[in-house]
Parts: sequence; C-alpha cells; structure tokens
Amino acid sequence: MSGAVDGPTIVDRLKAKVGWSGAERVTTVEAGHLRRFCEAIGDDDPRWREEAPPTFVVALGSETPPLPEALEYGKGWLNGGDAFEYLEPVHIGDTITSSTSLVDAYEKQGGSGGLLFLITETEYVNQHGRVAVRNRGTRIRR
Amino acid sequence: MITTPIVAGQQLPDLLKNPTTRQLVQYAGASGDFYEIHYDQDFARSTGLPGVILHGLLKAGFLAQLVTSWAGRSASLKTFEVSYRGLDLPGRPCRCRGVVKAVDGSTAELEIWTEDPDGQRTTVGKATVELL
Repeated sequence: MSGAVDGPTIVDRLKAKVGWSGAERVTTVEAGHLRRFCEAIGDDDPRWREEAPPTFVVALGSETPPLPEALEYGKGWLNGGDAFEYLEPVHIGDTITSSTSLVDAYEKQGGSGGLLFLITETEYVNQHGRVAVRNRGTRIRR
Repeated sequence: MITTPIVAGQQLPDLLKNPTTRQLVQYAGASGDFYEIHYDQDFARSTGLPGVILHGLLKAGFLAQLVTSWAGRSASLKTFEVSYRGLDLPGRPCRCRGVVKAVDGSTAELEIWTEDPDGQRTTVGKATVELL
C-alpha cells in the first residue's frame, strides 16, 4: 500500500476543527490581580478598584487557542484584533466561567508569505449565569 | 469626564503612553500572556520581528483607558473593537486618539486609534458608548 504523501494541509486540519471549544475555566476576580492589571496598563482610575476595566477579562483565559496544529504553521503568532461586547459589568469577587471556541480558520497570502487566521469567540459568564462580556479574537500565525 | 454635550466631530483628549520593556513584563504577568515576543529580544527576532513588541491587548487596554477616562463613570461602554495593524516597540511613544463619529440619542460612536511617532496608525478601532 503506498503511503499518502499529501495528507490534509494544516489549514484543512484547522478548518475541520471549527466548532471546537476549549475547556471551561472558572476564575474568581481577585482584587490583587485587578490592581496589577491596571498598573500594567497604567490606568489609575479609582473606578477600577472595584470594577474591571474593559479588557481585563482576557487575563482570565489564554490569548491563543491551544491548538497544536496551528504551531506547525509559520514561525510565530501575531494578534490581529479583538472585538468586545459588554452586557454586564465585572466586579471583584465575581466568578467568571469562560470557554473559547474556534469559529473560523482561513489562509491569506501576505507580503512575505502565508498567514493563517484563526477566529475565536469567548463568552465570559458571571455567577448569575448571565453573559457579562463576549470577545471575538483574530489570532494569526505567520 | 464629559462636561458639555457630545457632538459628532468632537475629539477625545489624547492619551500619551511611553511603554517600556518593564511595562511589557508587567503586562505579561498581569494578563497571563507569556508569549516570548513581548520580552525576549532573541526570540522576537527569530520570528522575524525587529525586536520585542507591545502586546496587541496592551494597546487595546490603552485605548479602553482613552475611552473610559473621557466618558466617565456614568457612561457605559457597549462595544469596543480594535485591529492591530502595525508593530509598536517599547521606547517609542504610543499616542492614543479618538473622535466622536456620530451621536444617536444617548449613544455615541467613536473612532479610536494609536499613533506611532511617525504618525502611522498602528491600531485602529471603534467603540460604542451609552451616555447616561
């Protein structure tokens, strides 16, 4: 039996994973974590001593989806963009459950070679069972 | 804080950031994004970058600060989206800017962006704010 030389490409294998969801993460929003996050941005608005600033939820999960196939493409990751939708505020003491899904995967030719685009969606659900924040991320391998 | 009625064309006060490699390490720790292109020069260059670069989401954090410090506590951010178009390096000032594109009732649509010292828009985006 002759070996299949041309297996599915990395892009095909990732396209087949569209719909995949990562493990659920459950995290309590801690005062010290929130303070360090605001210090890192350099935002000293006293409002953030109780409430999370708009991009804080990303610190509750991983930035890039744990898809080993993606690491076979190109030399590294770039972040293409982030879109957030805010439904409820997030405060210290809230317990946030989140999971990230792969919603699209496609390839584009850039100036210096191919780019692999992975589009993810993450919902951050609070302890009341309500979605507080939605994030749509564009992560690129190049 | 907003003290006058919001109208289309109004500019937000600029927010100037002077990011350092120390800040990138702080952000890596606080965000949990330990990808080495943000603090390891050799690693960053091995992936074809000129050196370590700012986290896209750090620039998003800067732009979120631009919007929330302008809108104030009584306003609520509804949507916020950014595209990272260019690289920003520590040691180079990152100017955050914004303008009101439209006002519809109590909702304002903003165009927001970061500018490098050459005037290039390295992050572009938009935000919707509900003004109460």
